[in-house]
Amino acid sequence: MSAVITLAEVGVTYGRGAAALAALQDVSLAIQPGEMTLLLGPSGSGKTSLLQVMGCLLRPSRGRVQLFGETLAPDLGVEAMAALRLAHIGFVFQHYNLFPTLKAWENVAIALDLKALPRAEQRGQSLRLLERLGLADRAEHYPAELSGGQKQRVAIARALAGGPRILLADEPTAALDGKTGQGVAATLHELAHGAGVAVVVVSHDPRVEPFGDRVLHLEDGRLVDDRRPARSSA
Amino acid sequence: MSRLDADMSGTSLLAWRNLSHDRARFVVTLVGVLFAVLLMGVELGLLLGFARTTSGLVDHTDADLWITPAGTTNVDIAGRLDERRRFEALAVPGVAQVDQLMMQFAFWRKPDGGTESVSIVGFNLATGQGRPWNLVQGAIEDLQQDDAVIVDRLYAAKLGVTALGQTVEINNRRARVVGFTAGIRTFTQSPYVFTTHRNAQRFTFFRPDQTTYLLVRLRPNSDAAAVRDALQARLGRVDVRFAADFARAAQRYWLITTGAGSALLLAALLGLVVGIVIVGQTLYATTVDRLPEYATLRAMGAPNRYLYRVILKQAAISAVFGFAGGMLLVGLVVLASTGSTVAVAMPPGLIAVLALLTLCMCALGALVSIRRVTRIDPTSVFQ
Ligand SMILES: Nc1ncnc2c1ncn2[C@@H]1O[C@H](COP(=O)(O)OP(=O)(O)OP(=O)(O)O)[C@@H](O)[C@H]1O
Ligand SMILES: [Mg+2]
Repeated sequence: MSAVITLAEVGVTYGRGAAALAALQDVSLAIQPGEMTLLLGPSGSGKTSLLQVMGCLLRPSRGRVQLFGETLAPDLGVEAMAALRLAHIGFVFQHYNLFPTLKAWENVAIALDLKALPRAEQRGQSLRLLERLGLADRAEHYPAELSGGQKQRVAIARALAGGPRILLADEPTAALDGKTGQGVAATLHELAHGAGVAVVVVSHDPRVEPFGDRVLHLEDGRLVDDRRPARSSA
Repeated sequence: MSRLDADMSGTSLLAWRNLSHDRARFVVTLVGVLFAVLLMGVELGLLLGFARTTSGLVDHTDADLWITPAGTTNVDIAGRLDERRRFEALAVPGVAQVDQLMMQFAFWRKPDGGTESVSIVGFNLATGQGRPWNLVQGAIEDLQQDDAVIVDRLYAAKLGVTALGQTVEINNRRARVVGFTAGIRTFTQSPYVFTTHRNAQRFTFFRPDQTTYLLVRLRPNSDAAAVRDALQARLGRVDVRFAADFARAAQRYWLITTGAGSALLLAALLGLVVGIVIVGQTLYATTVDRLPEYATLRAMGAPNRYLYRVILKQAAISAVFGFAGGMLLVGLVVLASTGSTVAVAMPPGLIAVLALLTLCMCALGALVSIRRVTRIDPTSVFQ
């Protein structure tokens, strides 16, 4: 299968002059669909920065980014980058980032609305997505009425709205207890294998590790290890 | 509610929930808009009411042209014209009819003593040009009697009369009230006292061959501008104007010389500014509270205009509800003003202008918030 995201010699530098800080250096990699890629590394090693580059949220200072084989222009505008995110990429965050004033299904519906799905179909599709994540009975609840694990599942449902082919998650289990975190990791793994989505997960959580098909290690902004553990949990 | 929400677009849903989630702030916004609408509505309504009052006499005749003493700026204050001018005017081709209309200040002695100044309006009873309108008591024909006058109910108390048949003195001559009108106001605080042209001459010591204005009606299909120019050329030291032009001149004169116009406009502008500031403040506070959510939307790939739409819809909701409440209060003020000597006019055109001003006010208030979300960094969602 062909890579969905390809990075070639990507570098990210924050600030300039004496305050310049190289968060990523010379990173080259290709993300494949249908598998779950784990991104590991110590704090400050550049994991989030890398995820942002892959997610068209951050323009790299050096190197090239390809999305589905198309090279992104280095001077791509912010609106064009937003359009790419909207079309291809779903995000899951450590702190869920749900809209607190919206019910669970409405949180999902917003993503569908952004993707210009007809209004009449938004509720039905939102409910189907929530059902797929085992949340059929929580659809009418507000985020404040949900547990951490339930919130993260709503967030995953929202990220999946409109069927993106790339799902990027930054520490999705960090705020969850062990068992719940494992459940969320298993869900992400299933998405990669069942729906053929390219899933990239940044994690510190050793309980997530068994679910990775491929594990990337970052240190000081450099990719130092890229392996496929022989035994996958699936 | 849930069904209603299901029919809302995402931006409407977010806008509505953002507002309803912080009721106290929403109420402050609404009170701000309401107050601004009230202020703008009353001030602009007063302005229009005053304008209509200053030109009321001109607007209620159906003359095509007004011939006035040279240099006349408004209908309430003017010099004298010689009756000879009427015959000169009648001789100009295109002129069908010329009526005299008298306007002169006089002193009104109330039945129980005390004096007020009044404006005597003397008109031609036969043609009715310049007659009072909105007569609610008595009959115009009764003015045929030598001492008969008609005044307005709004000034009955000021003039010390309560019923038909009461006698007063105008410039020390006996006068008798034979009719009341309703709603004929004067800007000069000297109420109009309507009587026949002959009576008016007697009350004000005009000579029988003197008048104030000549009201011209044109023959059908005549070239109005050409006749006006011909009259001006023929009569010389007078001003010949279309009725509408004279009406506008009178409005400008009173609203500008008294400063009432700019004062009212300034107060309306103040209302607009207060509204912009209040809407801007509360909307901005809500936006700052919701910045993480706007950043999330942006990270999800929402274009900036999606964010703008959420904010503008909040502004529009505030505008609609604030306008409705404000106009309710304006309506009460308008109702209250019908019985007073000061009118607050509120025609549909002005209501439309107020609605537009309210929308602009809220949209301007939204600008600061829009500027703020434009600068959102979507990577902030990862911190
Ligand atoms: N917006 C920024 N401006 C300046 N420096 C930044 C910015 N974002 C990250 N950095 C720096 O870049 C380096 C890499 O940061 P990054 O967030 O990518 O690391 P991380 O691996 O995700 O760390 P953690 O595990 O703590 O989340 C760090 O030294 C960080 O301080
Ligand atoms: Mg990080």
